[in-house]
Amino acid sequence: MNLSEKKLVIPGELIAEGRMKLGSHVFVENGKIYSDALGLFYENNEIASVVALKGRYIPRRGDLIVGIVNSEKFSGYTVDVNTINTSYISKDAVRDRLQRGVVFSAKINEVDELGEARLDDVRVFYGGEIFSITPVKVPRLIGKSGSMLNQLKDETGCNIMVGRNGWIWAKGGDTKLFAKALNLIEEESHKSNLTNKVGEFLKKNKVKK
Amino acid sequence: MAKKDEKIDYVKNGKRVDGRKVEELRPLTIEVGVIDNADGSAYLEWGQNKVIVAVYGPRELLPKHKQDPRKAIVNFQYRMATFSVPDRKNPRPARREIEISKVCSEALQRAVFAERFPNTVIDVFVQILDSNAGSRAAGLSAASVALADAGIPMRDLVASTGVGKAGGEIILDLNKFEEDAPDAVDIPIAIMPRTEEIVLLQMDGLLTTKEWKKCLELGVKGCKQVYEVQRAALQKKYDAAGAVKGKEKKKEEKAAKKEKVK
Repeated sequence: MNLSEKKLVIPGELIAEGRMKLGSHVFVENGKIYSDALGLFYENNEIASVVALKGRYIPRRGDLIVGIVNSEKFSGYTVDVNTINTSYISKDAVRDRLQRGVVFSAKINEVDELGEARLDDVRVFYGGEIFSITPVKVPRLIGKSGSMLNQLKDETGCNIMVGRNGWIWAKGGDTKLFAKALNLIEEESHKSNLTNKVGEFLKKNKVKK
Repeated sequence: MAKKDEKIDYVKNGKRVDGRKVEELRPLTIEVGVIDNADGSAYLEWGQNKVIVAVYGPRELLPKHKQDPRKAIVNFQYRMATFSVPDRKNPRPARREIEISKVCSEALQRAVFAERFPNTVIDVFVQILDSNAGSRAAGLSAASVALADAGIPMRDLVASTGVGKAGGEIILDLNKFEEDAPDAVDIPIAIMPRTEEIVLLQMDGLLTTKEWKKCLELGVKGCKQVYEVQRAALQKKYDAAGAVKGKEKKKEEKAAKKEKVK
């Protein structure tokens, strides 16, 4: 796919007429396909889909996310995972008792009709820092087959865990440099050739030992 | 304000008091993403009107009894700054502000895919910093841009303008002087330009059927002009960073390069 064929669309803009496979951020009205968000539309693609430039994280089953424990209930924990509603971890899913403020990664097991998620496969993190990025930009942070993430890990020396909800846990290494690189990705995620740009930035700003 | 016995030509030789044509808007500029901590924001200047809008959400609505399990609620809050009018305005939300908040909420509710976010609220805070007639149209137009900037799924943008009558002439986008004419009629109108669906329509004054039809036609025309400015503002935010190069832009660049070589 040629990257130059992307087009910036605004909500309600016509992107295709006739039958097509529907992707994300589109809707059909009177047989025509329109964008429902401010985003990028790739022309000459078989699927009518818009990549939104901003937006909140909508939980999906199977997503790996990073969260913080909010409070303990009788049979589980309510947790904040950067979604609209608070999510829930059953006490059956965790071996040890969780304290308020504990950072963890988990997999979304189930999402109900209100968008509240139930989590599973909980792994608790000790120490480290949490960073955040706009959830729609997470695929750019990871890169094609993890290229961007591997580069970040190599150059900063951090242990990094990226949640699909836009929260990132990092520990060890140069976390300050990682935060700066994250800012760069946030600002320029809609441009092409991002991995090389970030690579150059990391090499330039790396503290020599 | 004009005295009762004084006769003013609100339109003379096709030009209005401030030099505009009958179907001309006041100068309109919109800037997107002006507030860092908001999910979406916009700043609008429309003639003397100055409006700043912040959008937060969708987020959980509290207290819980206000939640609607079928949809998100658009909470539009229109507030005028104390210094936005010649005499100091009491900061307490007045009857007028509460009414405008209500009608604008309903206008945006129609445009947003609210059913995708049950039990939530989308907060839209509109602060009028300076006003000179048509501030609800300004607030609503800016709010719809800020909603798009926040990444909230919408059917279309909402474009709004004022239209009406002054001195017997049907004119677009009345300013304060024209609004104070003895026979003035003021109609704020908001549409979703793609379908031309009317989402807000109010009227103050009296019109004949013929005049009304002319007003509506002119109003829709005006809203479409506003829509073009809204679209340009949203595109500018990402184009300014050299972000998106459509086919046409690339072609233009290539042509420019070729010319340089020649």
